[in-house]
Amino acid sequence: MKFRGKIVDVACLNHVTRVISTISKLTKTCVLRLTADNLFFVLSGKVANGGVSMWCELSQANVFDEYQMEGVSSEDNEICLEVTPENLSRALKTVQNAKAVKVKLTKKHCPCLTIAAELPTLSSISRVVTHDVPVDVIPRRLWHEFKEPSMPDFDVSVYLPPLKTMKNVVDRMKNLSNFLVIEANLSGEMNLKIETDLVSVTTHFKDLGNPLWGDDASQDGGPSPSRDPEAMAQARVDIRKLQQFLMGQQVNPSKAMCNIVHERVVHLILLHEDVSLQYFIPAVA
Amino acid sequence: MNCLLEGNGVKVFGKALHALSRIGDALWLDPTVKGLALRAVNSAHSAYACFLFSPLFFQHYSLGSGSEQGSGSVNCKLLMKSILPLFRCLTSIERNVERCQISVSTPSDRVVVQFFCRHGITKTHNLRFQESEALQAVFASHLCPNVLKAPARLLCDMVMHFPSSQEEITLSVTPLRVSLTNYCEEGKDPMRTMYTEMSLHPDEFDFFQVGVDLDLTFCLKELRGLLSFAESHSLPVSVNFSTAGKPVCFSVEDVVLEASVVLATLMDSESRGPSQPAETLAPVTLEVCGCCCSARGIM
Repeated sequence: MKFRGKIVDVACLNHVTRVISTISKLTKTCVLRLTADNLFFVLSGKVANGGVSMWCELSQANVFDEYQMEGVSSEDNEICLEVTPENLSRALKTVQNAKAVKVKLTKKHCPCLTIAAELPTLSSISRVVTHDVPVDVIPRRLWHEFKEPSMPDFDVSVYLPPLKTMKNVVDRMKNLSNFLVIEANLSGEMNLKIETDLVSVTTHFKDLGNPLWGDDASQDGGPSPSRDPEAMAQARVDIRKLQQFLMGQQVNPSKAMCNIVHERVVHLILLHEDVSLQYFIPAVA
Repeated sequence: MNCLLEGNGVKVFGKALHALSRIGDALWLDPTVKGLALRAVNSAHSAYACFLFSPLFFQHYSLGSGSEQGSGSVNCKLLMKSILPLFRCLTSIERNVERCQISVSTPSDRVVVQFFCRHGITKTHNLRFQESEALQAVFASHLCPNVLKAPARLLCDMVMHFPSSQEEITLSVTPLRVSLTNYCEEGKDPMRTMYTEMSLHPDEFDFFQVGVDLDLTFCLKELRGLLSFAESHSLPVSVNFSTAGKPVCFSVEDVVLEASVVLATLMDSESRGPSQPAETLAPVTLEVCGCCCSARGIM
């Protein structure tokens, strides 16, 4: 198993730092899968994290100028590591003005991702910074837990309103209730509802638009051609999970969508440049 | 004691309090002929800080009236949590406060802090103090064989690589390299800790005099306050030390003030590896003396 990468472009460095920083706000630990072409940050839905799962994919060519990866074996040419994204984020943030940043899989007191950089100075000799981020190697027999999630058989797919607006609404609703209902229909409408003994509050969003998923769905693009466009599909979720998702977003994504499987799961998809982030929040009774 | 601060001086005074609050929960206010000394010490007695404002710093500075002790007025011990909130928001102080008067009233055991603000508003705060013996660290920094001097900016750039929660770090000095590494404390799993090392060439220091290769481990958290103060005033920082186990002193000075932080260092500093448990830092020797000596003499 071998991994060495070099980042020389400051825009690429900013880009990957921002992605990792977003991931660090979503989860304390996750799995980093390194393949020949991509980097994946994966959180598999377990009871411990309230069933939330995450899949983030970015292309390594848009980050690294040099990339050498030799996986566990030639058939399984990938490396799977459990990491604490907060550590990676912190390490990368301190080297933003470096001429070059090298990332390597090393074995120090334990397996580590070592981030090393030379920082420019006025004198002839650069400053050197090294961060050894401890990681855990995931054995091959557990890799099946970190596979790409399949697209759920959703009832409604809708574009999200501006994330900042959504975050403001959810932040205030969190003061009133622990659970929130997300509902949407194929006419581009979405409601966020909370209900307590004393009060119920609903925020309505209109004209959001519905993504056309095409391919094996019908020509209208909807999951079911006979579905009433006004009918709402809903899911009741833990408001803190939704809030955590919204808090982590630093950049306005080019595309933000929400798929709802009625009373089962809310599937959030963000696309920005070459990065895709999927976040699944299970519905609660 | 009675002193008057104007405009920017109030902000500087506030910033000094912020730095001292990083050290301990109590503040010693010691008015002397040399100026007003503010001191703090941590509970383990492994960190000590002193800010001495010379009389020139103030618009007006006078020690007690003739009826009080000749050498100066009494040494006051205040709770940091009673005085720090008055100077908490420095930006609002900058905007609103025109003058600040601080006086010590012995009969009523009170320190009176008065803010004369815009629009004719005056805020008066009465803080109870405890009469106390003077607090001083017995540490002759001028006798230390090893000295480093650098702009505050350089030291801040070095420590920014470590998280604000980082407690101890190790400063390693050789003629060719100066490096900072985080130190893994007892109780924390060495396998889970992130290790950071940052190194640079001695040439980057304005002054570099080191006799022998040395590893000094001390608490970074307690130093950050002084570094932040030094950086906001663009003051160069002097680092004076002798060997591992003996205290290290970080100090800054300009025409009207002097500030220093003295930190204990780990005795056995060859234990830099993650597998070694941390030992307790040997306390800085503090002398609690009955007389009010000037801070400069001992330091």
